[in-house]
Amino acid sequence: MFSSSFHQQDARNYQILFLVVFLALGIGTRDWEIQPLKVIVVFVACMLTQWVLRAESLKSAVITALGLTLLLRSNSYPTLALAGVGAIASKFLFQDHGKHWFNPANFGIVIALATGTAWVSPGQWGEEVLYALVFLGLGGLVLGKVGRWDTTVAFLLAYAGLEAGRNFFLGWEWDVLAHRLLSGSLLLFALFMITDPRSIPNARQGRILWAIALALLTFILRNWFFLSDAPFYALFIVSLFTPLCDRLWRAPRFQWWQRKPPSLLGNLSIS
Amino acid sequence: MQFLKPTENSKMLSVSLCLLLSVLLFFSFPPTVWAFCGFFVAQADASLFNKASQVIIARDGDRTILTMANDYQGDVKDFALVVPVPTVLKKEQVKVGNPKIIAKLDAFSAPRLVEYFDEDPCAPVYERALPPGPAGMAPPQPLRSRANLGVTIEEKFTVGEYDILILSAKESEGLETWLIQNGYKIPAGASRLLQPYIRQNMKFFVAKVNLKEFAKTGSQLLRPLMMAYRSPRFMLPIRLGMINAQGEQDLLVYILTPSGRAEVTNYRMVKLPTDQEIPTFVKQEFGNFYKALFATAHERAGRRVAFLEYAWDVNSCDPCSTEPPTYEELKEAGVFWLDDRPRPAPRLFSKPANVFITRIHVRYTRDTFPEDLMFKETSDQSVFQGRYVIRHPFTGKITCEAGRKYQRSLARRLEKEAQTLARLTNWDIQEIRRKIPPIATAPEEPNFWRNIWR
Repeated sequence: MFSSSFHQQDARNYQILFLVVFLALGIGTRDWEIQPLKVIVVFVACMLTQWVLRAESLKSAVITALGLTLLLRSNSYPTLALAGVGAIASKFLFQDHGKHWFNPANFGIVIALATGTAWVSPGQWGEEVLYALVFLGLGGLVLGKVGRWDTTVAFLLAYAGLEAGRNFFLGWEWDVLAHRLLSGSLLLFALFMITDPRSIPNARQGRILWAIALALLTFILRNWFFLSDAPFYALFIVSLFTPLCDRLWRAPRFQWWQRKPPSLLGNLSIS
Repeated sequence: MQFLKPTENSKMLSVSLCLLLSVLLFFSFPPTVWAFCGFFVAQADASLFNKASQVIIARDGDRTILTMANDYQGDVKDFALVVPVPTVLKKEQVKVGNPKIIAKLDAFSAPRLVEYFDEDPCAPVYERALPPGPAGMAPPQPLRSRANLGVTIEEKFTVGEYDILILSAKESEGLETWLIQNGYKIPAGASRLLQPYIRQNMKFFVAKVNLKEFAKTGSQLLRPLMMAYRSPRFMLPIRLGMINAQGEQDLLVYILTPSGRAEVTNYRMVKLPTDQEIPTFVKQEFGNFYKALFATAHERAGRRVAFLEYAWDVNSCDPCSTEPPTYEELKEAGVFWLDDRPRPAPRLFSKPANVFITRIHVRYTRDTFPEDLMFKETSDQSVFQGRYVIRHPFTGKITCEAGRKYQRSLARRLEKEAQTLARLTNWDIQEIRRKIPPIATAPEEPNFWRNIWR
């Protein structure tokens, strides 16, 4: 499906490109107000932490910073800095055999939310088919590249199944389900956040179970605990079980450059 | 750890990304709100919108006081209200509110027109100020809970002019039948809409007017109903209201919270176009202007968004369309946490603290808003208001070169204002231009060659 030159590119380049495109779409077409100084604070926090803790390619820090910029809103600069520093530091603090548990951006978001001075806006993309197609198309490109599409598919199928079951049980018309599933934020989460090969299980079997657990937890937190930020909390909790999944189902660890020795590490997705 | 050397391609990609990101960063400033020193002259309140429902939600954590304005126009004996509520409410949790408080919050948060007067370009600065502008119950029937209908009367009480029942039901057709049997006029097909609430284990708040009590109030209007409850659900059921709705309905939600702006979580919420300079004649038809502006913004956004009309700390406003609500008024609006937190100064000198108001305007139909509205509170304290500006040109005698320059720039400015108005309202630009009062403009600067080639 993809040309070999595409395969040889570091998928993170595309990841960065797409995240920048989303940021442009958000600002240009969805009335987001993103203040440059806040973006700078997040970027500086991520890059500096990455540099201080391990001077290497800053690409993954850029992806994390872009992810935070896309998702996290706050009027407090210290909170934004904390999110950036926490996101990157989590990679070094919480690791198991060289693999980190938490998706860095998700970790940053959760600690920023815990301060009570930040929020995420789940409705910021609306629920439109056009945006859903854009996310699915671009997300599919990156997933094809890193071979982690199974996680997204398992998550979306499980979540859609649960929501469809609830929809049927409650007796809502089907456009309610469509409205819930077309949420741009949910699709971005599924395509770009839970596909980070560095913080999800290595083996396909483990990943699929992990994704189903994530869908179930998201569904419960959203519909029983009425948490509008359910996916982020669910991912945070499920991430704690990534090392366990890796022990139960063994598989080679993900490498960015598929044809190179297994020493290459980094991040993908909004991580 | 090492990375492969990037290919030329990826270098180019990186460079393009940096460029793209930089461009984004520096062109994405939100519009700057310039100093608010205009004079408030008019407002566009809820009375503009025929079918507007108004609701106040005061919420802190999981504690909520919901106030529903009652704009029922028909015969009070036919009035019936069925609202899904998250818990069983007891008599002490229900109260009738003061209709004035809804009008107060409406006036306080309504989109506003402000005006400025251009200074004499030839004179030292002086200002002219304008004073602020204007700103039933059917005969009681025995209420029987018939076991086979699965309806249980959890609570039954009278509050003010309302007879209230809190019902729980096992299945929707039973509830529909029960309501019809007990004299509630509910539209056909209601059971389909009731079922999801029953299955979510929600209860039903059912109100009729008690005619005897209503007569005692001596009023022609039904007062708002207020209910207090604890629930993690921060939502407003709108689906039941759609059952017999003709066309689009307007809903204004005033959300009062302790820490910051509230937002809709399951629909996109956008800010209204604001801080726009428009022609001076709009002062005479500000209501029509705002209606057209809202309709245009609503259409452009695909009719599926909620609009933020106002977000501000209730302690202040700038410019103020009316005085900020007082401590007592906030309590009447359901703000229950005022005494929870110590106020920084003696009450005489300090207004109530820790209350942020968010005004959300939703124009909805069954198809564009299939789900009930869900909200969340954020810590965002940044302020927003729908504010439109008119600038009166200086009409005095011009005695200097700067004045002539001013006059020449005026035509351009008026044209720009006309275009802004046309863009915001979708009004005909020619019609707008005709309505703009003519102004004295300085003759164009003579061409330099005329001096020698006349």
